[in-house]
Amino acid sequence: MTPSVRQLAWIVARDVNRTVGGGMASMELLRRSFEARRWVDAQTHGLFVAVSRLTPGTNILAYCAAVGWRLRGWRGTLAALAAASVPASLVISGLAATLVRLDRYPAVRVALSAGMFIAAALVLSSAWNLLKPYARAGRARFALMISAAAGVLYALDLTPVRILLICAVVGALMPERRSVATGRRGDTRETART
Amino acid sequence: MNIAVIYLLLLKATVTSFAGMGSLPQIRQDFVDSYHLVSADALSEAVLVGRATPGPMGAYVVAVGYMAAGWPGAVAGWLALVTPAFAALPLLATVQRWLHLPRVRALVDAVVVAGAALLVPAGVGLALEAVDQLRRLM
Repeated sequence: MTPSVRQLAWIVARDVNRTVGGGMASMELLRRSFEARRWVDAQTHGLFVAVSRLTPGTNILAYCAAVGWRLRGWRGTLAALAAASVPASLVISGLAATLVRLDRYPAVRVALSAGMFIAAALVLSSAWNLLKPYARAGRARFALMISAAAGVLYALDLTPVRILLICAVVGALMPERRSVATGRRGDTRETART
Repeated sequence: MNIAVIYLLLLKATVTSFAGMGSLPQIRQDFVDSYHLVSADALSEAVLVGRATPGPMGAYVVAVGYMAAGWPGAVAGWLALVTPAFAALPLLATVQRWLHLPRVRALVDAVVVAGAALLVPAGVGLALEAVDQLRRLM
């Protein structure tokens, strides 16, 4: 079945803008909605997830772009991206505007400082959530080595882009057994050679 | 600051990250350290607002844009948020051709891990700034 652009936009807006657990939580909600309506099967969903992990930027938006393209072409892509990002962006802009007007009051400043601790915890939990699958997939050593390399390069005051590029090259040169980003096992002959 | 420059700076951060919050180290460097477009406190508030709102994690860049240049900055932030997603379209066409190569998958994994590792100093920096701000208020 192929949905209309309006149906696609509604489902994406509903499922993406009601989760605070990150892109994977939104993707799971979308998968359930799409499969229930027979718009996308499990295999195609897996392909979209892999593509979203490879795409720079926010994973869930790449997922929505890919789904929109597959289901409704350019109109579907634009509708899905708008549905996924506009509601949250409006809320965030409104909250930011409110915060800017209020932060001259001492009580608000104290509350914001407390909020910064929460933000710090959220940032650190994001890091852990990204690294956790590597430990589960038995790639803790790979994750540790790449993290250590990133830490050393950061200490050397390199820019984040350069750090990512260097780590990408290091990662590509390391022996590979199983990919977390794509969930696929490597080619055994290639693994044996490395 | 020109809105186009804000868009390009935010785009530089979003297009070089592979997760919602992965753009934070680059944004911190450009907006706080290099160009002084927002204060460290304002960046922390933008992160907090972004993370407290349901929806894509990376949407905090909209708040960063707002903190830097008001509503036009928020629009620039939204554009920087969605622009990298269009890269998914050519990737969708080519991914099945290249993803079977272990080296390519290892490269992607390394970028994801390094991006996560870079979040640690960013998070610690936020916590230290919160302590500093509380000290000043007390």
